[in-house]
Amino acid sequence: MQLLNKPEGSQTMIGASDKSRLTIAEFAKESRIRADSYHRYHIDTIETPDRQALPNRFLVSVGKFGLAKLLMSEVFEYWGKWDVVFARPCTYGVFSGPVGGFSPRPEKCVGCLRCTIEHPEFVTITPNPALASLGDSYLNSKIISTIDEEARKGTVPVRGQGYRGRFGGPGWDGMFTDMSEIVRPSRDGIHGRELISTIVDIGSKPMRLQFDSEGGLVSAGPKMMSIQVPFVFDSPAGSVMTPSLAKIWKAAAEQVDTLALIPGDMVTSNNLASPSVVPIISLDSSETASSFKNGTRLIQLDGWDASAYASISSSNPDLMISIRMSFETGWQGQLNEMIDAGVSVIHFVANNHGEADGDRFIMDIIIEAHEMLLKAGVRDKITLLHSGGVVAADHLPKAIICGLDAVGLDLPLLVAIQARLSGDTSSREDYKAKLPRRFDDKWACQRIVNLTGSWRDQMLEILGAMGIREVRRLRGEMGRAMWCTHLEEEAFSEIEGFIGGGI
Amino acid sequence: MAKNKLPVFPSKTMIHKITNLLHDGMEARTTGKFEIPPALGDARWTDELILSTWHMAATGTLPENLNYKTGESNGGFDRLDFKTLDEEQWLKHSEDISTSIQLNRRGDHRKKLSPAIPIYGGGMSYGSVSVNVMMARAIHAKNWNTYMSTGEGGYPEELYECRDNVITQVATGLFGVEEKSIQASPIIEFKYAQGAKPGLGGHLLASKAGEEVAKMRGSVPFVSLFSPFPFHSTYSVEDHSKHIDWVQTINPDALISVKVSTPHDVDMVAVGSYYAGAHIIHLDGGFGGTGAAPEIAKKNIAMPIELAVPKVHKFLIKEGIRDNVTLIASGGIRTADDIAKAIALGANGVVLGTSDLVAMGCTRCSNCEGGPSGRGCPWGLTTTDIELQEWMQQDWGVKRLDNYYTALQWRLRDILRKLGLSDVNELVGRTDLLVYTRSDGK
Repeated sequence: MQLLNKPEGSQTMIGASDKSRLTIAEFAKESRIRADSYHRYHIDTIETPDRQALPNRFLVSVGKFGLAKLLMSEVFEYWGKWDVVFARPCTYGVFSGPVGGFSPRPEKCVGCLRCTIEHPEFVTITPNPALASLGDSYLNSKIISTIDEEARKGTVPVRGQGYRGRFGGPGWDGMFTDMSEIVRPSRDGIHGRELISTIVDIGSKPMRLQFDSEGGLVSAGPKMMSIQVPFVFDSPAGSVMTPSLAKIWKAAAEQVDTLALIPGDMVTSNNLASPSVVPIISLDSSETASSFKNGTRLIQLDGWDASAYASISSSNPDLMISIRMSFETGWQGQLNEMIDAGVSVIHFVANNHGEADGDRFIMDIIIEAHEMLLKAGVRDKITLLHSGGVVAADHLPKAIICGLDAVGLDLPLLVAIQARLSGDTSSREDYKAKLPRRFDDKWACQRIVNLTGSWRDQMLEILGAMGIREVRRLRGEMGRAMWCTHLEEEAFSEIEGFIGGGI
Repeated sequence: MAKNKLPVFPSKTMIHKITNLLHDGMEARTTGKFEIPPALGDARWTDELILSTWHMAATGTLPENLNYKTGESNGGFDRLDFKTLDEEQWLKHSEDISTSIQLNRRGDHRKKLSPAIPIYGGGMSYGSVSVNVMMARAIHAKNWNTYMSTGEGGYPEELYECRDNVITQVATGLFGVEEKSIQASPIIEFKYAQGAKPGLGGHLLASKAGEEVAKMRGSVPFVSLFSPFPFHSTYSVEDHSKHIDWVQTINPDALISVKVSTPHDVDMVAVGSYYAGAHIIHLDGGFGGTGAAPEIAKKNIAMPIELAVPKVHKFLIKEGIRDNVTLIASGGIRTADDIAKAIALGANGVVLGTSDLVAMGCTRCSNCEGGPSGRGCPWGLTTTDIELQEWMQQDWGVKRLDNYYTALQWRLRDILRKLGLSDVNELVGRTDLLVYTRSDGK
């Protein structure tokens, strides 16, 4: 647009036609309206306090006799300088109660250890075994604490100091994601002005369009939908999922604009059908597929049966149908059958430790499944989802790099609403979850929304570091991953005693 | 201090009491008078590594009963050891074993800088740490004829007394970058990325960006500062070259260091930086320290320094330019043994940051970003709180660092003599002198 001088001194914007002839004030007003009407996807996080606090990180033990002795000696040494006598060796308030160290507040301890270094004679700080005992070997207390913080604050956890854990490691820890030093189309991660999209498509995109001799479209168009984040909310174990939880899953999914996978009978009996709800139905009750109304877009068939799939597909042409199946031994054969049958959404599941197909970790299995689809030339025709073993924010981009379109989350959502897990937590069905004694749906929904907001922002950090502007492009981008074992081979193979990465 | 009470500048008596308690307590823990604190340490910086660093900083000698060599991370430096000669072939431990390195290998007209040790101090900005910490590191660098970097937060006036030993960092936010500070420095360091948060830019959270810090950075007080990433003027190696030209116009004598993280193509980045005019390629690995970084960035993005150094070293050799550039490693280097291993893997020298802080009392509690108190480090290190920063007095910090580096140099010479080497430069790229062990430090 140009600016013109008008006789009366005001300026006019000249556009493509006379209709766009606007004064600067009008142009500014119109621009403002346009800017205000622009909706950029954002997850509204709100700090949501715990309903049952996790055990304290540290135990604080103060010897009363030692403390009294110190105070007595300091009273004499610093007589009159009471601020010095009563100076407390904690900036976090552990000794800020009315009687100071005689009744410490361990819930405030962050483990700086200043007090125990200053007063080794009578102050001891120890890691709290009650916290360490939470979770299991996979979903451990560190991950639980992190999810708790993410669900409470809805922000990206930021800390000082560097990494504290082991070099490389099993599972997802064996992968590093790449970054780009200078050449990148996106800027500043979560703080930037340029949009990094986390939209993923669920369903099938035709590889080409076909037309008749008259130019009319004869092939089917895309049969898909988009969700705003690369994760869906999966149903937890049957004994854990209740109508109350299902409502929370649904409400959170609607707020985030993703999907909640809920057992079909629960959807029906509680009237939960909605565009954001995916009823899971068993092969035995496949005839109920057409009963879900109220904008239901996708249903999930629990197990693979070619004839049941064909029957549902033909009787519900407008409904998208996904197949849920375990990564059990022989899954490759079933995947080939589903490819041949034209299944467009496949949802694999592994146990909660990400193990399936014998003792294999899902990272390798997902890669294999992704590569099978590539080889068959149908990658864009099929959406690949997976649940099981994705329990931390860094697992999400790593799973997508391996070839998933989106991830199913269940245990992290339970942890976000402060469920205490017990029983066989590696199994998808044999664990128990004890929820906080008192909570309301709004609180629980916001905790889940906060968790998703935090994970999405962390996803943006990873994408921003790589210079990738949309998560769809991350799918299967294994060139943007570095495997610790490979790097160790490259770096250490000449060194005596080296017998292979990660060994 | 009671909650919500505003911090005040502490009295001399208060400073005397707190610092004495801290110093005595640290000594009591390192000498074994009291048990090792059960909550101290982690896999990378074990309790023994922290206490041995305190011991070295207090005495200038190596501890007898603490593991001062390796952590327990089960990989990288912790799985490497040296193939030492039989004892009768060892050289005598002496000051004749050279630990000096040359930083300008390009053969141009610029300064020939040769620090006495293959170590200099990594960037820690004003705001992330106190002026006391910066000055302690700067005076220590001067004492040792080496260098320390300002980090991205400007150049406090006090530093000018050590100007010949202070590196000015130019990072993506350009916070506090002035012609004056560029002209003052023998080395200008372009920070493209940082190992602890590769691809994300610097973070200084609001509670630490107080009046003085904001003034230095040209920002608004108590507003969080997130540096952009990358340099918004750099999208190619040609743009990078332009940056270097710009700085060299302001200070034609300065050496140019380019600090990068360790992505897949770090070897190509190093070669590009060399051809753009860099004297020093500084690789910062994924286990590096930080004043504040998203937890997801630590370790998950980019590779550890142990894996990046040999990759870059070999590629520079292949390109025929290895002898013309100085390769510096940082990000997870904790001990003299780590330093020697990094050099054997292909680096010329290293940069230390976290180790300096540990020497001055850091327990790695990870509350540097402000912590729940919002005031920063309770030890007075990573804070600009007017009360807390007094717990780390500058003179004491200098002594600690001088002692610590004395011990590091002693141990470095010890390793060299046991390998039959009389100069640290002979160790560069000698992977044949390393052995990969089956478990940590065994």
